[in-house]
Amino acid sequence: MTPQDAKLPLLPLFMPISSAPTSANRTGSWSSRQPRYVEKTAPCSVHCPCGEDIPRIEMLAVRGEYAQAWRTIMTENPLPGCCGRVCFHPCEGGCNRAQFDAPVAINALERFLDDQAGEGPLPAELRPAPASGRRIAIAGSGPAGLAAAWFLARLGHECEIFEAAPEPGGLLRYGIPAYRLPAAVLDREIGRIRELGVRIHSSMALDEELLGKTRSRYDAIFIACGNGRGLGLDIPGGELAVDGLAFLRAVRSGGLKTRPADESGLRSAAVLGGGNTAIDVARTLLRLGIAPTILYRRRREEMPAFSHEIDSALAEGVNLVELSAPLAIRHDSQAFTLTLQKMRISEPGADGRMRVVPVEGETREMNFGAVYAAVGVRAEEPWRSLAGAEGALRLSHTLLLPESPTGLPVLLGGDLVNEVESVADAIASGKEAAIALDLLFREGCGAITPGLERCRIGAGPSLSMEIYQGGPRRSRSQRIVRYDDLNPDYFTAAPPERGDSLPPAAAAGSFAEIEAALTADRALEQAGRCFNCGICNDCDNCRTFCPEAAVLLELRNSSRSDPERRITYDFCKGCGVCLTECPRCAMEMEEAAS
Amino acid sequence: MKTILEGSQACAEAVRLARVQVVSAYPITPQTHIVEELAKFCSDGSLNGRFLCVESEHSAMAAVIGAAAGGVRTFTASSSQGLALMHEMLHWAAGGRLPIVMAEVNRALGPGWNLWADQTDSLAQRDTGWIQLYCADGQEVLDTTLQAYRLAEAVNLPVMVILDAFFLSHTWEPVDLPAQEEVDQFLPPYAPRFRMDTDHPQSLHGVAPIGVYMEMRRSMQLAMEAVPELLERIEEEFFARFGRRYGPVEPYLCDDADVILVTSGTAAGTARVVVDQLRAEGQKAGLLRIRMFRPFPVRSVHEVLKSALKVAVLDRNCSFGAGGIFASELRSALQGGNPVPVYSYIAGLGGRDITVETIRDCFALTRGTDRPAIESVWLGVKEELLK
Amino acid sequence: MSKSELFEERELMNTGHVGCPGCGATIAMKLALRALGDKTMVVIPACCWAIIAGNYPQSALKVPVLNTAFATTGAVCSGLRAALDLRGEKDTTIIGWAGDGGTFDIGFQALSAAAERGDDFIYICYDNEAYMNTGVQRSSSTPWGASTMTTPGASWKRTQKKNIVEIMAAHRIPYTATANIAFPEDLERKLRKARSIRSGLRFIHLFASCPTGWGFAPADAIKISRMAVLSRAFPLYEVEEGERYTINSGGDAPVYDYLRMQNRFRRLSDGDIAMIQEHVNREWERLNRKARG
Repeated sequence: MTPQDAKLPLLPLFMPISSAPTSANRTGSWSSRQPRYVEKTAPCSVHCPCGEDIPRIEMLAVRGEYAQAWRTIMTENPLPGCCGRVCFHPCEGGCNRAQFDAPVAINALERFLDDQAGEGPLPAELRPAPASGRRIAIAGSGPAGLAAAWFLARLGHECEIFEAAPEPGGLLRYGIPAYRLPAAVLDREIGRIRELGVRIHSSMALDEELLGKTRSRYDAIFIACGNGRGLGLDIPGGELAVDGLAFLRAVRSGGLKTRPADESGLRSAAVLGGGNTAIDVARTLLRLGIAPTILYRRRREEMPAFSHEIDSALAEGVNLVELSAPLAIRHDSQAFTLTLQKMRISEPGADGRMRVVPVEGETREMNFGAVYAAVGVRAEEPWRSLAGAEGALRLSHTLLLPESPTGLPVLLGGDLVNEVESVADAIASGKEAAIALDLLFREGCGAITPGLERCRIGAGPSLSMEIYQGGPRRSRSQRIVRYDDLNPDYFTAAPPERGDSLPPAAAAGSFAEIEAALTADRALEQAGRCFNCGICNDCDNCRTFCPEAAVLLELRNSSRSDPERRITYDFCKGCGVCLTECPRCAMEMEEAAS
Repeated sequence: MKTILEGSQACAEAVRLARVQVVSAYPITPQTHIVEELAKFCSDGSLNGRFLCVESEHSAMAAVIGAAAGGVRTFTASSSQGLALMHEMLHWAAGGRLPIVMAEVNRALGPGWNLWADQTDSLAQRDTGWIQLYCADGQEVLDTTLQAYRLAEAVNLPVMVILDAFFLSHTWEPVDLPAQEEVDQFLPPYAPRFRMDTDHPQSLHGVAPIGVYMEMRRSMQLAMEAVPELLERIEEEFFARFGRRYGPVEPYLCDDADVILVTSGTAAGTARVVVDQLRAEGQKAGLLRIRMFRPFPVRSVHEVLKSALKVAVLDRNCSFGAGGIFASELRSALQGGNPVPVYSYIAGLGGRDITVETIRDCFALTRGTDRPAIESVWLGVKEELLK
Repeated sequence: MSKSELFEERELMNTGHVGCPGCGATIAMKLALRALGDKTMVVIPACCWAIIAGNYPQSALKVPVLNTAFATTGAVCSGLRAALDLRGEKDTTIIGWAGDGGTFDIGFQALSAAAERGDDFIYICYDNEAYMNTGVQRSSSTPWGASTMTTPGASWKRTQKKNIVEIMAAHRIPYTATANIAFPEDLERKLRKARSIRSGLRFIHLFASCPTGWGFAPADAIKISRMAVLSRAFPLYEVEEGERYTINSGGDAPVYDYLRMQNRFRRLSDGDIAMIQEHVNREWERLNRKARG
């Protein structure tokens, strides 16, 4: 045998070398517990009368997807420019973050998003459904009427709005001063509603006469003309007081340079009342060169006006006299003399509200160049009577008269019927009316209540148009996420911020908008403060920490921007780490069906 | 090229010629000269490899296991306490089917500390799955080390090349040092049957459940059973190229012997002198040197001892409670063959000299006793120390 | 926040392994391999991972694995490194992946030697603070106060956890750091840094909670790991060249909350816990002194 021939044979070799993947072992059989992605309802969206999908809005804002965030707002609320400036943000009152450090600046972010994405034509997603052939007459172009038109038009119903004033907007134009809500913003929002084909007839009130002539055009009526009439003062000389709301309207109509008549030369005015209108009147007077004094029968803390509005007013130089009730007004020597009763706090009344009682013998007189009354409002006739009609169905933000004296189904909404008189609640009325009418047309009166219930967010009463139209939001659980459901380990304390404001001295000098929008950097930080309660924001904690590598990330529709997570139950052992590390309670643990 | 080399040097030269790439060893007398030579070779570039200094023998074996799993030719060396410390990893290397070659210098185990020749250390590892080859002189050390790589890489079992402390490790003898080109022809570059490879990821040496462990062990046994034939073929090649061969056993004048002495290591050299003496005195004495202890050369011993009337085994080791280990293995191996009585002798522990007289006593006692004692007979013991 | 770039990511740990539900060690391995990529080889001694790595013929990893005996990780990595370098595969990363037993105790000698030799690999000790694989017996990594099967009942462990990172820093290796499965970005950064350093041994002490051995609900595996850091019982820090300390974590959560979540500390009185808090405070102070230089 030569060396080259000596090839040694290869012996069989059986030894521990392994390469088959362990994925042949279906370890999912170890446990019957299965975690699932179950999106839930955030408390802010429940507190929002418009039912806006706030966690999703903020999530999109953080990603810089302003257009999509704005569309998400517009799905539920057509007036983000207005609301982002004047809403009393009950959403922030329900925000879970309040229990961590402070609520998210939802209101400022809404304004920011509208500023960013509100220009330009309406995107396809918000355009109307095919025409249904129905037509609705809407009385009043305030927020309730505008919103009703927006939602009805998107559902395919033609709308005509009748507005008594020369321009549309209602309180948004005539009640809220420009330094809080510039006309340009309102005009842009109204313009969008017009883009849906809604017609607005200004200087044309929908009264009985007009209705009688045109009734056959319409299939239903929505009455939302608000409480446009100021309550008078029921005291001697009460008629001498100028109605506050009328004053604001006149300033708005006549341009902002109107200086009210003042024969006395005192350049001062008394404003009786404690609500937002009283504050608005006082701050408007200030900007017109008049020194206003608010006179309120109770204390500052009982004033129904927004607290920050009171702060701003005082900072601008408005005087406040508390515990003073008007007894009489008289006009002599060009000035107005106000007789005032000093009041003191007494025990709470049967309704729990603080009571005030006169301090015996303590009255005084004050002189002013003018007196304004802003002590309450009520509806114009004849709508007050309709509001009390028999057979009315009380829904959460509307009153439904399936058969009215007009022969048409009538809904009333807005300040006319709402317990809370706010812009957001007015929009809620518009939405409820639209959905109720759509249900009435398609399925009849019996479908209205159950149909509305299906669209409520959480425990209600806020409604979601997206849910009504069958969008993804309808598959969310109605369970409301509480702070204890969250995992705050992932959150870092950061203060809430709004846009910069003009300093009071500068603000008081004109009707220019006082508050600026957040800068883009600040908006990003502020949107980042949102926990996105109940929805998945793609943080990927579940997949990062899964010990089984059983959370898979897959492309949805081959789209890189829309990944979907899927848990493979063949391997999931039900350990629950994913649930614990989901900061926002977007998962549930369920028992598998055997 | 003929030169004078110390046994340790002969080993180191073979490692160099084999183009070993990773050496890792922990020094222990009398293995130190081997590792020092190799450290020098790595340092001066005559061996193109890495010398890893480690902190213990257990780690030395672990390091070469790591390197072998990485796909390179490896070498280590130890002795006595060091080999004992390595015990776990000897099992690991064999079960891991890694073709590691180790020089093992037979030295006594303590306590008490004893640096000198004794085979108990390597024999205590006989169950580990290592092939064991016992050398008698420096040339054989060099040749066996070269053959060991061919063998190990053919069967995927590690090989121990064993040499007596001082008698062989520190003795200078004439050795024919082959040329590198010749060795390259005999021993091609290492082509591992498996290795750690990111292109083909596998898990080596993991859990072997009840359903497969026995088959993995059977595979090792079958590899051992293939060794005698493979070694023969390798030695054929070696002989053709270098003119030397050794076989699993080395018989001397056994064909017509009536009493054959079986032994191993350097004692065999002395035993050959005694056999010549006894033959001159008219006795039909024979000598069988066992070279391959693992696998035990069953066929060879049957063949050589088939006509003997008596067999004496001289063990330089002891398994306490049992006796000389070569004797007990031989007795077991002879089952089913010539039912020749096997006389067991123990001598030379801890470096005690095995002299001509010691071996003459083996033959004399064997001839003069009808049957073997049950216990091994210890030769040269100072009984007075045991009173 | 889009995770679309992760679509390129292929998990290098297989699903279907036999780790306990909520096993911190498997989270640790998954995250480590995400950071290091597929040109990696893993050496695994006896430990939980020796079992999790898979029974023949299965492997739980998509990278090469070399299983080895308990005490040998440091030595085997050294040998493997030498082989790869000689074969020209210098870009392959070797990681020794050992538990606290195989690092602090039986494997310490080989680790120390590898550090002194300046060997080029990353040694990662995933620490579940006891010999978990053999049934929860104490190691020198088990913290003061813990009950284990060999420190049972009233004989709960009354010696402090060995500070392995300080020991490795004393070897003056180029880089050593603590890490924790609840802080994946920090872990990733440290592993990538370790991979880029080739001038000697890199040692990562990786906290990996164990629901089974510590006695807490599996769902809390990450939460508890985070609490260990935020209570400063296990601060995150790095040491370069044995002397430059950088602290990566803070927090002042009471160690009480961390301890009371775990059954293994159930025998401790409030006074015992107060002592632990003092110890944590002192160690934190000491660490800060070193970081200040």
